[in-house]
Amino acid sequence: MKLTIGYLYGDLMNIYGDTGNIIALKKRAEWRGIEVEIKNISIGDKLKKGEVDIFFFGGGQDQAQELVSADLLKSGKGKLIKQEVERGMPLLAICGGYQLLGDYYRPHKGPKLPGISMFPAYTLASFDRMIGNIVIQSSAISYQLSDRKQKKSDDRRLTTDDFLVGFENHSGKTYLKKGANPLGLVSKGWGNNGKDKTEGCIYKNAIGCYMHGSLLPKNPKLADWLLKKALETKYGKEILLEPLDDTLELQAHGVAVKKFG
Amino acid sequence: MRLLFAILLGKLITYLTRILKIGGGSAAPGLYALKIYPSLVEKLSKRIPKSVVITGTNGKTTTAKMLAHFATASGLKVIRNHTGSNLERGIASTLIHGVSLSHPWGGMNRHLGIWELDEAAFNAVAPKLSPDVIVFLNVFRDQLDRYGEINTVLKNWQETLKKIPSGTKVLVNGDDANILRLATSFRGKVQKFGVKDYKIVGEGIVHKKEQENLDFEAKDVKLDGLNSSSFILQTTNYQLPTTLPLPGIYHIYDSLAAFACAFNLGLPVNQFTNSLIHYTPAFGRVEKLGFGYIFLIKNPAGATQVFETIAPNLKPTDTLLLALNDNIADGTDVSWIWDANFEVLQNSSRAKSRDLKLYVSGSRAYELAARLKYAGFDPKNITVDPNLKNAFRQARRNLKGQLFILPTYTAMLELQSILAKSGIKKHYWEEEDRV
Repeated sequence: MKLTIGYLYGDLMNIYGDTGNIIALKKRAEWRGIEVEIKNISIGDKLKKGEVDIFFFGGGQDQAQELVSADLLKSGKGKLIKQEVERGMPLLAICGGYQLLGDYYRPHKGPKLPGISMFPAYTLASFDRMIGNIVIQSSAISYQLSDRKQKKSDDRRLTTDDFLVGFENHSGKTYLKKGANPLGLVSKGWGNNGKDKTEGCIYKNAIGCYMHGSLLPKNPKLADWLLKKALETKYGKEILLEPLDDTLELQAHGVAVKKFG
Repeated sequence: MRLLFAILLGKLITYLTRILKIGGGSAAPGLYALKIYPSLVEKLSKRIPKSVVITGTNGKTTTAKMLAHFATASGLKVIRNHTGSNLERGIASTLIHGVSLSHPWGGMNRHLGIWELDEAAFNAVAPKLSPDVIVFLNVFRDQLDRYGEINTVLKNWQETLKKIPSGTKVLVNGDDANILRLATSFRGKVQKFGVKDYKIVGEGIVHKKEQENLDFEAKDVKLDGLNSSSFILQTTNYQLPTTLPLPGIYHIYDSLAAFACAFNLGLPVNQFTNSLIHYTPAFGRVEKLGFGYIFLIKNPAGATQVFETIAPNLKPTDTLLLALNDNIADGTDVSWIWDANFEVLQNSSRAKSRDLKLYVSGSRAYELAARLKYAGFDPKNITVDPNLKNAFRQARRNLKGQLFILPTYTAMLELQSILAKSGIKKHYWEEEDRV
């Protein structure tokens, strides 16, 4: 099997540790004998349907974000990303990338930066800098993420598996529109806007959130969920990923949950 | 009178922290003295005839130490924030320490102040020091939780530079395109230093031929393992064959910056190369121990440069001890380890470094261990112990070759204390070579 990761604007949007997500996806696929290619898709590049199997979109500096917003609309890539997500292709967007996949980003001054309206959400600039470790309880997908689907009782005790850990650093406040599903609920940190306790957004198999860290290496189940969805969309059948020894990753995860959660 | 009280309080705190061995007294005395007398830095720094301010992401301490070393060898008395405490409180602590209690109103009997300032503190503190020379070394991603984006750092520097008198000597890294953008914000002329055929691109230093117009240039660079590098230091008036007793291209930039400062201060720079023979590294920066080395790592660019320097010199019997803390001084965001190129260590040609023994420690040890696993190291060869003292002991007990210790900032301070307590070296604030 083979997977192509589309790194959206990887040259401009990779502000802090976001490349770690690409490393995690690549290695976890390769360790299972799946061949991986990484395609950087940047300003002016064309993108065709089915050209990549999974999207990653990181955060960037303000200046880069303006260029990218314009390019997403002008080059038609924004429209294609939406179509691909509609047919089940997984996507992970962090911070700036997440913002540009919503309706818009409204800065303090100047015109709104239009997004591609894939996530039912919008972002407003604020004067709060929301910085720190973040721990969320990801009920939206924790059943899907874990292999414990059968234990769907409401009163089951939470385990560290139910949490995602990362580091947020943003001043934009994202608000989910009616009917939007958050990625999870904040147990420590600010999340989307510091008020409503939601963090991130999940639409079909696309996830947007504020969690740097890097996110995927220390949340290996989420990484595998993305890989699984990518392979299933590409090959049109259910895929069972071979389990890996995640001792170190889960210890890193556990330390963060314990220390900050 | 209030100033005198602030000085006395600062001195008392220094005394107490050292007696109680809770630290070197490099920040707390200044912090409290500034509360009593906020303009202490302006006031006291005026008593020193000449001053240099050094800022940038990487290389501040090494540049400052090299310049201090040469200035001292040239007969000057130097004062500097030598412990790397590079916020206003660190400068204040140093100044307080420099005041003689028998003549609290008199001069300090120092000719030159050498001040390293962190990227953010620079804007508030540099103008207070009225420097004769300002050096901008480089700007990389570092502790975004503290400094913000690179563009923000640069924008603030530009604003500060606009207010700096045009007669000030401003020295910039001519190989760093971001730093070069500062030139237009300064009313005077800037001088550029750099290495021939090298450029700083993103997080790395790359070999790249390009037309350069440098005032201080290193050419014919030859790297000699972990010991040294040699090059020709070229200016309009000088062509000096130089041997730098430090490895790695990144240290050549530091030495050029130190040389350029010395030149602008009117020091006898034809002696600069000679003085380097006796230079010893700042603590934790390529610090040589009887059984190995300490290389501070703190951000993607600096760490990658360290990896590139040591990787070709690793032998199969060597051991690595890496420590990642997430205290405020380290940066609370550990994301940066995913941007640092740990893969370089794993690809070392000499050793089958995939099989190197690794000890991993610090408050985020497991995170770092995972990073090493994803860089290609076999988890079987990685021993994790978040307790640095234990990790250090184990690493030494089983040591066959050399031990390379790569700690983040607060882990490095902790390590210095472990080394001191086990009698391997002195407490860092007691080190004799303080200049």
